Amino acid sequence: MTLTDVYLQQLINGLSLGAMYALLALGFTLVYGILELINFAHFNVFMVGSFVALGALNLFGVTPNAPPLAGLALGAVLLGTLAVTMVASGLLGVAIERIALKPLRNVRGPAAMITTIGVSYILFNVVLLGLGADSKNFPSPLPALALPIGGAVLRLREVLIWIVSLVLMAALTWFVQFTRMGKAMRATAQDPEAARMMGIEVDRVIILAFFLGSALAGAGGLMFGLYYNFTSYIIGFTAGLRAFTAAVLGGIGNVPGAMLGGIIIGLIEAMGGQLVSASWADVIIFSILVLVLVFRPAGLLGRVAPNKS
Amino acid sequence: MMTRRSALLAASALSLLAGVALAGPASAAEQVVKIGIDASLTGGDAQSALLVKNGAVMAIDEANAKHAVPGVKFEAMVLDDGTATAGQYDPAQGAINARKMVADHQVMAAIGPQMSGVGKAMAPILSWGDLATITPSSTNPDITDPKFAQQYRPAGKAIYFRTVATDAYQGPYMANFYASVLKVKSVYVLDDTGAYGEGLANAFQAQAEKDGIKVLGRDKIDPKAADYSSVLTKIKQLNPDSLYYGGVMQAGVKLVKEAYEILPHAMPKGGGDGLITPEMLTAAGFPAAEGWYCTNASPHVTEDPTAQPWVAAYKAKFNVLPDDYAITAYDGTLVIIDAVKRVKASGKPVTRSAVRDAIQSANVKTLQGPVSFDDNGDIKDRVIAVFQVHQDKAYPADDMIHLFKYIGVAPQS
Repeated sequence: MTLTDVYLQQLINGLSLGAMYALLALGFTLVYGILELINFAHFNVFMVGSFVALGALNLFGVTPNAPPLAGLALGAVLLGTLAVTMVASGLLGVAIERIALKPLRNVRGPAAMITTIGVSYILFNVVLLGLGADSKNFPSPLPALALPIGGAVLRLREVLIWIVSLVLMAALTWFVQFTRMGKAMRATAQDPEAARMMGIEVDRVIILAFFLGSALAGAGGLMFGLYYNFTSYIIGFTAGLRAFTAAVLGGIGNVPGAMLGGIIIGLIEAMGGQLVSASWADVIIFSILVLVLVFRPAGLLGRVAPNKS
Repeated sequence: MMTRRSALLAASALSLLAGVALAGPASAAEQVVKIGIDASLTGGDAQSALLVKNGAVMAIDEANAKHAVPGVKFEAMVLDDGTATAGQYDPAQGAINARKMVADHQVMAAIGPQMSGVGKAMAPILSWGDLATITPSSTNPDITDPKFAQQYRPAGKAIYFRTVATDAYQGPYMANFYASVLKVKSVYVLDDTGAYGEGLANAFQAQAEKDGIKVLGRDKIDPKAADYSSVLTKIKQLNPDSLYYGGVMQAGVKLVKEAYEILPHAMPKGGGDGLITPEMLTAAGFPAAEGWYCTNASPHVTEDPTAQPWVAAYKAKFNVLPDDYAITAYDGTLVIIDAVKRVKASGKPVTRSAVRDAIQSANVKTLQGPVSFDDNGDIKDRVIAVFQVHQDKAYPADDMIHLFKYIGVAPQS
């Protein structure tokens, strides 16, 4: 393996991690953009999403000892699992909003944010008690295809994670920019009061933001399982914290910013492990975050928001 | 009309009477002796913790069934030092558990903890409480090392006994195995940042260098992170002959899976007793786990012909096969029961201090052979057994006895 191959491989590793962080970061950003609320329940919606995906795969007959699928069958199973996982996670997000957050809509201060931390712990412990503490083997229907590029290897799972993330992010961007509902979202983000006066149903916009963000987290959960071939009740915290950092780094509330932040954090993690050491990954990530926030308090792509009152 | 004070008096007199009435017959019957059991029942090592707990419970149940100590009824006090937030063993919870045991005056001795990180937190509390514990599986040498007596046995006497050898043998003997049996010339060493993993990896690394193995690098992996591809890619680039991992399964499952994806399959990979768990077979699974070497800091007993009736009884009772640390837990409990028996036979009252002294002077015939301890609490016979994970579809997917193929005893030099 030459040094060029090594960096190419680390680039592949970093981009795959980054794509996953970006999917998660979008959920933080969508909700923050509308409600100015940091939704910590998102960490574990992602985790629950990976278990939903595991259950769906089992339903489609994908078990640890099943042979890998190919062609149409593979596509159908993956699309089916993705659809089930995204809808279930999205509905979970909506349920969290309706049950735990809506009653607090007009309460000032950090009450809603603290509630999301509570909900996060509830999800965490429900999965722990219901499914047990051991790591679960996540079966993969993917054939072990790999493309050698010099000494580096590009595997099917990496290509898949990039394609799924790109398609979902493009779809989200299109939705936010060009549909009526997307316009309503942007209007609500700018000024909920004025949006309401223009006849936008702010409540529906909020539900939509939770649904979309949580559905993307569910997709992230499926990608996580396919990529690492395991899942566990504990996966939400580290991934969630890094994705949250990505959202802040890119400029929280800003959709392209979340994607950029995710990719940057993924690349820092991979290159940091190569150049310094894996045990310093978090130190490097958070040092860079602090530096960026010192010079650009609103994040890389964020603009300092006009004061909403 | 009764005043409030007289009502109170009457009530307390009544409760006093009731207390005497209840306590009377109980003290006339059997004395209850509790044995604390502390293992990491929540988190990444939950399955292996259960095997250890079962081993201790089995010895207690057997002792009660055949009235091994006349006039004494043993009870298990099971405590879990794993927490959901840590996702594995949690030293802070271990400290709480140690205080719980010390606070209960019926607890005369304990089995555990399973993990060294917890042992370091529990030892000083147990020392001040004069409560002896026998660990079936925590192998970090510091806890019983007289150099650290101030820290881990501040009250003076040895209270941390082991029915396993320590990493001062497990790491170095495995390095000898790498050098003289696998004949590797270079190695990359990883650990999971825990007290056990770091100590084991250090001990391995020091002996590997003495054996002439070139250590190409050393890194730590975060057990809560999911992605180790960065460090594994770096290892692939350095291209060592072999890999050694000191740590437990929370990081281990992911490391084994990702190493299979990134590193050459023919590269020998190994670790310590932290890898001999059902998780290695089911969560890490095949083909990823195939070929990994692991060690146990105890002799290999579960396949010994003389132990087969015991293995069958364990399987019948708990519907799961034991591993060698279920045996060391069973053996440790036999030592405690024997100690209580000797104290009782001597006519002295059964106290923690007397039980500790009896454990110190123990020479008990157990499944792994006769067990006795040196002045620090370490077992006198130190055997490190080497295993290799090997898939065999003739056995169930979580068969600890047959899928960890016994290779032999690791060379002592």
